[in-house]
Formats: sequence, C-alpha cells, structure tokens
Amino acid sequence: MKWPIITGALVALAASNQLCHAADPRYPDWPCAQAKVPEISLAAVWAGPPIDDVQNKWKDDPKVSALVAKVAARRTPLEEAEKDIKDFLASSAGDKVMAGKLVFAGLFETLNAERSSVMNGLERVMRKQRDAAEKIRSDTINLQNMQSSSSPDQTKIDELSNQLLWETRIFEDRRRVVKYVCEVPTTIDQRLFALGREIQQELE
Amino acid sequence: MWRYCLLPGLAVWLAAMSPAQAFIAYVSNEKGNTVSVIDTDSWAVTDTIKVGQRPRGIEFSRDGKFVMVAVGDDDTIDVIDTAKKQVVDTLPSGPDPELFTQDAAGKILYVANENDNTVTVIDLEKRARLGDIQVGVEPEGMAISPDGKILINTSETTNMAHFIDTAKRQVVASVLVDSRPRFAAFKSDGSELWVSSEIGGTVSIIDPVKHAVTGKIEFSIPGLRREAIQAVGIGITKDDKTAFVALGPANRIAVVDATSHKVTKYLLVGQRVWHMAFTPDEKYLLTTNGVSNDVSVIDVAAQKVIKTIQVGELPWGITMSPR
Repeated sequence: MKWPIITGALVALAASNQLCHAADPRYPDWPCAQAKVPEISLAAVWAGPPIDDVQNKWKDDPKVSALVAKVAARRTPLEEAEKDIKDFLASSAGDKVMAGKLVFAGLFETLNAERSSVMNGLERVMRKQRDAAEKIRSDTINLQNMQSSSSPDQTKIDELSNQLLWETRIFEDRRRVVKYVCEVPTTIDQRLFALGREIQQELE
Repeated sequence: MWRYCLLPGLAVWLAAMSPAQAFIAYVSNEKGNTVSVIDTDSWAVTDTIKVGQRPRGIEFSRDGKFVMVAVGDDDTIDVIDTAKKQVVDTLPSGPDPELFTQDAAGKILYVANENDNTVTVIDLEKRARLGDIQVGVEPEGMAISPDGKILINTSETTNMAHFIDTAKRQVVASVLVDSRPRFAAFKSDGSELWVSSEIGGTVSIIDPVKHAVTGKIEFSIPGLRREAIQAVGIGITKDDKTAFVALGPANRIAVVDATSHKVTKYLLVGQRVWHMAFTPDEKYLLTTNGVSNDVSVIDVAAQKVIKTIQVGELPWGITMSPR
C-alpha cells in the first residue's frame, strides 16, 4: 500500500520537473508546452483599415458593444458569430467601414483581455503546483523515515500515507486541467483571427 | 513538379476543353493524423483519410494514382490509393521522415529523415530502398534541379543547402544560408535556387552553378515583430515571373517579383501559413494554415484571397493532382 503511494508521488514530481525544463526562461511560471505569446499583435490578425482612430469608441455604441459581447463569447458557435457580424455590417449601410472598425476594435480589446486573464490564471496555478510539489517531496521523505524507524508508529504512518495520497491526487488533477486550459489562449487567437477575417472580407 | 513532364500543348488543350477544370488537393493534417481531400470545383472537403502519426510532407505520384505522405512518428511514408481513398502501402524511409521529392520521371523518391541526418533513396516502382546519403544535421527541405542532375537538401541545424549529385549520390557542394532553412525551390529555367530560412526570416537566392548566395529577400510588415516573420513554403509560377512565400506566424503570403526579388504585396491568409500548391493551370494557389486549421485559396492573377476551407487539425503540407 505504501510503496505505490510513494511511487505515484515521485512520478508526479518527475512530471513537474519536466514542465520546468520545457519552460521559457523569460516566463518561469508558464506551465504550457505552447510558447507564451503575452499579447496578440494587431498586425498579426488585421490587414484592414487602421483602427487607431476608433480606440474605445466601440463601447459608446450599444449595438456594437452588445454584438462584441455576443460574438466574443466562446459559447457562441463560430459560424453563428460570423453570420451575426455579416448581418450587422450589411445593416449598417451608412458607414460600413466605420462599423467594421468598431466591431474589430471591440473584439481585439475584449479577446486580448480574456486571453491575458487565462494566462495569468495558468501562471497562478503553476506557482501553487510548485508549492504542492515541495510539500509532496517533504512528506515522502518523512514517510520513508517513519517506515524505516526502529519502532514504527503504524497509526501515524497510515495518516501520512493517506495525506500523501490526497496531495498527489490533487496535484495530478491540477496538472490535467492545466494541460487542457493551455489550449485556451490558442482557441482565443483562432476566434479573433476568424472574426477579423470575416470583417475584412465584408469591407472589401 | 508534374509540370515538367506535361506537354505544353496538352495543357492548352485541357484549358480550352474545360475552363472550369476541377482538380483535387490533398492536405496533410499534422496533429489530426489525417489527410483532407479538397475538390477545387466546389472548394469543399470531399474526404478525410486516416493516415499514420504526424503526417507532414505530401506529394502525388506523377501518374496521379497515388499520394505519398511522410508520417514522421511512424518512421515511414504512407501510400494512399487515390481511387480507394485509403492507405494501401508504405515506403521504407529512415527515422522521422519529413519532406521528400521525386525525380521528373517519378521513378525515384528522395526522403529527408530528420532524425538520422540522412536522405533515403527509394525506388518507387519496386517500393524498395536503394540506399542512403549522409547530409547535415536535421535534413529538411528537398528539391530537384529541372535537369534532374542535382538534388538539394537543406539541413535545419547546420544551416546549409547541400548540393547532391544524383548520379553519384554524393554531396558535391554546401552553401551556408540563414538560420533554420526549411524549403528549397528551383526556378523552372534552373537559373536560381531559392531557400527559405524560418528563423532568419529570409529567402536566399543561390546561383546553382557557382554555389553562391547572390541575393536575399527580406520581409517586413509594419506592427509585426521580426521573429513573427518566418519564411517557409515557396511557390514560383512556371514563367518564373512571380513567387509566393509563406511567412508562418505572420499569417501572410508575400508576393515577390521573381525577377527583381522585390516584395510587391502581402496577403493575409490564415494563422501560421506553412506550405502551398498551385492548381495545374496556375489560376489558384492553395495555402495550409496550421493554427487556424484551414486552407486559403488565392486567385493568382488578382493576387487576392477568395476563399477559406476548414480542414483537419494543424494542416501542414499540400499537393495537387496532376490532372
């Protein structure tokens, strides 16, 4: 019973060490295999008319801000979001270019902010994992010492074994979640690019 | 490469007979472990074929009956029967094959094996390995000169384009290029060899006779950091007048005047654009966009993106049916 726990704990730690090796020295807390790109640069996703003259104006237009909130949300299927944008631009016959610029400026700001918050969350979890790894390491050593003692206290050994089992399980669960969440910044990139492309096509 | 063996007269006849000629494109999806089949008439994915692990380099056989795709993590090349739309055989490459090229007759295949610094030579009729050629570290880009005498292999770590004599199967010259060379292409008249460098973000123009770099194409896009501009795939029109260069995470294709080597335009395509293929009539150019999981269709004459087609996960390579 005890050895599998220790082995499990050590395997988890070995995995956490691998994470450390893969890290970019500029971002020591970044837990993902995907390279950390702190911000999406405008030029990577937009080749349409310059948007520096619209800045925050998208927030002042209730129709635009409602559309941005809807199409930026990942629960809105991409096809539906693209169609919403198309319909909105078709209805804004007066100044289609301005409407397109406003929607894109809103999406760029909203999705970049969402992306940053996901990335900050990932780094926060990574710091927690490091503390957890340290705790598992010291508990493992304590357990080994207790077991090899000349008069082992079985009650305490069982207690610590149990604790170690839980610590390892939580560590492993978090690791799986992190791996999944690491995909989220890319998903946001894809969405911003696809919606930006839709707007540019409508403006051409 | 099919174009060298097709009679120009036949091409004209085909163009005259059926102006809306449909071609078939095969796209390798590196992460999806599939190949997407695109019909260029409907611009839709008509089939998705399961292949081995990590498919990258992909090319039609000269007769159009088979498509070969390097499946790096399975250390082999899958052969797809284009009538059955399934893998029917494998070819004996070395470990981790990435890109390959075939001679004009379609009889010999040269495969770059990323993991053991060799190029494997395969007899396509017998589907048997003929031998290996030692090259630089992490071989990658492959190209054959129009006269078939010289094979080019670029090595990612050594940063060189190796000139291999196809008769002797020996490296006869090596030319230093910018960091991490990815792809090599000859002009149809054989006068220039173009080699793209992913990290260097440039295309080196090489004189294939003197084995010397004679010029360099650089790219700059306002608002984009230099490291986001990574030159990878290259496509040159048959008349050697216009070239297209894929710029990876810059999400753009550069249009280059192939005579003056000046960039004339940047086209926003999809995310992490990697490789490309022309339709045989050169009316359209299709690019694979790895991160947005799609293929962009460029109208070559208008130099405009006209369509986007969703494919599998992480599209990497693309090849077009010869007819």
